[in-house]
Amino acid sequence: MIGLNHYLFLAAALFSIGLYGALTSKSALRVVICVELILNAVNLNLAAFSAYVAPTQAVGMNFVIFLMVVAAAEVGLALAIIISLNRRNDIEAIDSIRRLKG
Amino acid sequence: MTATVLFAFYAVVAIAGALGLVSANKLLHGVVSLLATLVAMGGLYLLLDMEFLAAMQLFVYGGAITILVLFALMLSGQRAEADDRAPMRLRWLPAVVSVGFFAAMALAVSQAPWQISPTHIHDTESIATILFSRYVLPFEIAGLSLTIALIGAVVIARQDDMAGVEDVDSQQVAQPAEEEEVPA
Repeated sequence: MIGLNHYLFLAAALFSIGLYGALTSKSALRVVICVELILNAVNLNLAAFSAYVAPTQAVGMNFVIFLMVVAAAEVGLALAIIISLNRRNDIEAIDSIRRLKG
Repeated sequence: MTATVLFAFYAVVAIAGALGLVSANKLLHGVVSLLATLVAMGGLYLLLDMEFLAAMQLFVYGGAITILVLFALMLSGQRAEADDRAPMRLRWLPAVVSVGFFAAMALAVSQAPWQISPTHIHDTESIATILFSRYVLPFEIAGLSLTIALIGAVVIARQDDMAGVEDVDSQQVAQPAEEEEVPA
């Protein structure tokens, strides 16, 4: 029988893989994608808690919806910044980006 | 029994897709691999009796965000063959950090005394009820922040087109071949 802990283990594994990918990446785009994976793992955590711990209130499901909104806003902004940086001076590696202002 | 098999299937697909993302040399392959993870998580939401979240997961993540990332990948013009990950000698510390984090989380999860609720009721109606009564202000703020973020994204992405003439000129002097001429 699948319980709460199975979902939590799965979410922790996805979070760790996303963390590894974000830490080993040199391109900003890959970091953004790995952060998306991390946010998805958190979403799964919230949904599992909502289903198993407090199923009558649906609070966790609302948090998932808010987190999806935040993730969509974040990925839109991040991709705009990456495109702008690329167009400006063809930057690929995040450690060579030293200034974001102007 | 069926739920167990389905959970195992979705979990394996999700983990495999995530591993494919971090192990892919080309970022394009990684994004396609991540798509498998996102779809599998939609299946996991279905297993939790959350049809609305499953649909949102497929629409927002599987559709919109994946397409957005693919567009950014195409527009940013990264070299297809270039490996954009850290060299192998620098990967051990992130691996240690990630495995340590997973171990800590697994230990904490296995020892936590969760109060598992006996009932297992979920319906989309309860989401709407609580979203438009108790969380109506966060709902408005979320909509406002999404609007602001997307307007800001358009402004940032078009900044070079809207920059002052002297600024564009100085950039073009510095890097002549960078700016492509876009007919207004």
